[in-house]
Amino acid sequence: MTPGALDGVRILDLTSEMGWYCGKLLADLGADVIKVEPVGGDPSRGRAPFWQGIPGRETSLCFWYFNANKRSVTLDLGQFDGRWLLGELVNTADIVIESWTGAERAELLELGVDPEAYMEAQPALIWVSITGFGLDGPKAGWEVTDIVAQAAAGIATLAGYPDGSPMRIAGNQGYIVAGISAAQGALLALLQAEATGEGQRVETSIQEALSICQETAHLQYDFLGTSRQRVGETRRLPGIGTYKTSDGYIFSMVGIPGFGAPWSEVIQWMDEHGLAEDLTEPAYLETFANFDLRILLEEEEQAKHATTLNRAQEVISKFYESKTTLEVYEEGQSRRLLIGQVATPADLGESPHLAAREWWLELNQPTTLGQPDAQLRLPGPPYRLSETPAAIRRAAPQIGEHNQEIWVDEVGIPAEDLIAFAGEGAV
Amino acid sequence: MTSPNGARPLEGIRVADFSWFGVGPIAARTLADFGADVIRVESEARIDGLRHGEPIKPGKTGHNVCAYFNNFNADKRSFLLNMSVEGSRDVAYRLIERSDIFVSNLTPRMFERWGLTYEELCEVKPDIIAAYQPMLGLWGPYRDFAGFGAVLTPITGISHLSGDPDRMPVGVGTNFPDYVVNPGHTVVAILAALRHRRRTGQGQRIELAQIESVSATMGPALLDYTANGVTQQRKGNRSSWMCPHGIFRCADDPSSRERWIAIAVGDDAQWESLCAVAEGAPFTADDRFATLLGRRRHEDNLNAMISDWTASFDAASLAIHLQSVGVAASLVHDGEDMCEHDEHLAERGFYEYLDHPETDISLYDGPIVKLHRTPGYLASPAPLFGEHTYEVATEVLDYTPDQVAELTASGVFS
Repeated sequence: MTPGALDGVRILDLTSEMGWYCGKLLADLGADVIKVEPVGGDPSRGRAPFWQGIPGRETSLCFWYFNANKRSVTLDLGQFDGRWLLGELVNTADIVIESWTGAERAELLELGVDPEAYMEAQPALIWVSITGFGLDGPKAGWEVTDIVAQAAAGIATLAGYPDGSPMRIAGNQGYIVAGISAAQGALLALLQAEATGEGQRVETSIQEALSICQETAHLQYDFLGTSRQRVGETRRLPGIGTYKTSDGYIFSMVGIPGFGAPWSEVIQWMDEHGLAEDLTEPAYLETFANFDLRILLEEEEQAKHATTLNRAQEVISKFYESKTTLEVYEEGQSRRLLIGQVATPADLGESPHLAAREWWLELNQPTTLGQPDAQLRLPGPPYRLSETPAAIRRAAPQIGEHNQEIWVDEVGIPAEDLIAFAGEGAV
Repeated sequence: MTSPNGARPLEGIRVADFSWFGVGPIAARTLADFGADVIRVESEARIDGLRHGEPIKPGKTGHNVCAYFNNFNADKRSFLLNMSVEGSRDVAYRLIERSDIFVSNLTPRMFERWGLTYEELCEVKPDIIAAYQPMLGLWGPYRDFAGFGAVLTPITGISHLSGDPDRMPVGVGTNFPDYVVNPGHTVVAILAALRHRRRTGQGQRIELAQIESVSATMGPALLDYTANGVTQQRKGNRSSWMCPHGIFRCADDPSSRERWIAIAVGDDAQWESLCAVAEGAPFTADDRFATLLGRRRHEDNLNAMISDWTASFDAASLAIHLQSVGVAASLVHDGEDMCEHDEHLAERGFYEYLDHPETDISLYDGPIVKLHRTPGYLASPAPLFGEHTYEVATEVLDYTPDQVAELTASGVFS
C-alpha cells in the first residue's frame, strides 16, 4: 500500500456537515480521522440524497461521501463521563476539528469543554474551529447555514438574474470553502507543530474565506466606489454567455482577445457546416477581423457595430441550437474556442474524459444491518499526488462503529467500564 | 505587521511561481501569506492578463494598477524571464534548483514547450514539489481543452445546479472555482507534500486537474447519479430540508439600493422564533406552516408572504433581530457593504490596506485562515512588473552584475 502524506496524524472530527469536508480532505491524505458523534449520531447524517432514495441515518449518500475513511465513536458531552472520555481521546490526538454553533460553543464551555484548557495541557495540540463568522467580533456566534454564509460573503449578490433575487451557488459551497480553508490551516499548524512542538488554535470564518470568491466586487468598491451587481444572462456580445443546444446548454466565451481563437474562427466553423449565413460577407468579416477589447468594453463601440453584433448573435444562436452540447463542446474546444458544456451530473457520470482518467473510485459501503452493501462509484479526489496519493481506504462508518476498537483497544478504557458508560448513555 | 509569536510556518520555503491569472497565483499567495518566498515569474512577451483586467486605479495606466492582479500577488517578488528567448531555460532551471515548490497553471502544451515537465524539473532539483493545475489534467481525451473558472463552472455541474429552475443555467456571476476551490485544494496538496518531504526527503508531482478538483466539491449530486441514476435539477434558493430558505427583498436603502436578506429556518423551534419576531404577519397565524412538511408543501405561498413581511424592513437590522433569537439570517452584502459597512469584518481586521507605489493605499484580502500563534499576513503589496528581477538574479540566482547585464541585453530578462 502506498504511503499517505498524513500517515501517523490522528485527528478528532467533532464537526457537523459544515466541517465535514475538512476531515475528508485530511483523511483521504492518510490521517487517522475519528469522527466523534453524539450518542444518536451526527444530526447531519439525515442529509439527502439517500441510497435508493430511502431516507435514514445509515443511507445518506451525502454523509457517505464526506465521511468515508473516518472511524466513528459516540459520546454524550452532556454527561460528565462523556466529557471525561473526550479528554482521554484528545490526549491521543494531534488535531481536533469542530464546527460548533455559537450556542453549542457557549454551552460546552460552561460544561468545561474548553479548547484553551486542552491546549494548555497538551502544548502540541492543534485545535481547529470552523465557524460562520469567526471566534470574535460582533457577529461571533451568529447562526450560519450555507445560504447565509453566501449572503454574508458578498457572493450571492453577484449570482442570479438582474431581475430576480440574489442566488446561492449550488453544492453547499460555503461549507466546501470552509473545509478547504480549515484544512490549509490545520496543515500549516501541523508543519509548525512538528517543527517546534508548539500547537495552536486555527480559526476559519466562512464569511471571510468565502468572501475571497467575490472576485473584484470589493476591489471595485475600493477603487471606484461602485458596487458590482449580478448580470445573469444579459449578453452584451455575441458568442459570450449561455446558449441553447439541441439537447441542453453550452457556455460560450469566444472572441475575447487573449482567450483562445478569434471570432473569425467561429465564422469559419459555422461556414464549414453551411450555417454561417451572411456573416461571410466582407463587411461582417472586416468587423470581426478587428474585434478587439474596445468592442468588448465600450458601449459606444458596441453601438457603432450594433448591426453586425445583432446579426452575429442571431446566427451563432441558431448554429449552437442546431448541434448537440457535446458536439459544440468538443468541436469548439478542438478549434481553441473557450466553450464549456453545461454538464449535468449525468454528463459527468458518463464523461469519457473522467472515465479515461479513471477518476471514479469503487467502494463497498455497508448500509443498515441485514442489507447488502451498496456498490458505489464515488467521485474521486481533487488532486493526484504521485508519491502519496489521496485514497479511500474504508467506507463511511456507521454510528459508533468503532467504539470498542477505539475506546478499549486504543485509548485503553477497560471493557467493563465501557459497558458501564454505555449503560448510562455516555457512549 | 509582524508575527506576534515568531516565524510563520513556511519561512525558508521558496516557491517558483510560473503561473498566471487566478488559480496558480492565488495558491502561491497563500503560501506567501504564511511565510514562503514566492518568486512570480513574468514576461513582457506573455503578460498576465489580470495586470490589464479591471478594476483599474482611476487616472492610472500601465502594468501595475489593476486591483484584480494586485490582490492575488501581494507579498511576492516579480521576476522577468522570457521563456521564448535562448538561454532562458537555464535561468529557469537555476531558479528551480533553488526552490522547494514549483506552481504552474499553464496548459500542458506550454510547460512541455518550456521544458518544465516534472521529469525535467527533477533533473535539476530531485526533491522538488511540483504542482500543476491544468484545466482538464495532464492526460486524457480532453487534455488540451482550454478555459478557466467561467468554463469550469459549467463543465463541473455547478451551472446546471445553480439558479432558477425555470431559467437558463447562466452560471454564478464570477469565475467562482478560481478563487478558493482550486487554489485552496492546491495548497492542501502542497502542504501535505511538504510534510511527506520533511519526513522522507522525497518530493513529488501534484496534478490538480481543475475539472476533478471542482467536481469533487459536487460529490453528493454526482453520487446521486452514479448510485441512484438521479440527475438533480437546480432549485433556486430552496433547500430539501430547511423552509423557509431563501433570499427576500427588504426596503431599499435611502439611495435606492436594493436590499435583501437571507433567511434559513432549520426546525420548528426556529420557525416559532421567526414567527415571534414577525408578530402579526399573516403567516404567523397560518396553520399550514406549523410543520416543516406544511411549509414545504406551501412554499410558494409562504415565500410570497415572507417577502411581503420583509419588504418594509431594513435588512441589516432584521438580520440582527432574527439572529438574536437564534434564526440564521444575514443581509446580502455587496462590495460596498463588505468594504465599508460590515463592522464585524472591520473589527476582525480581515481586509488589509497596503500602500502601493502606484495605487496608493489599496485593499487586499486577508489570509484565508487564521492561525493564532503564527498568523499569516501580507508583508508587502503586489510587486511592480519586474520589480525584483535584479534582486532575484543576484541574490537568489547568484548571477554577477555583468551576467545580469548580459541576460538583460539578450532579452532573457524581459
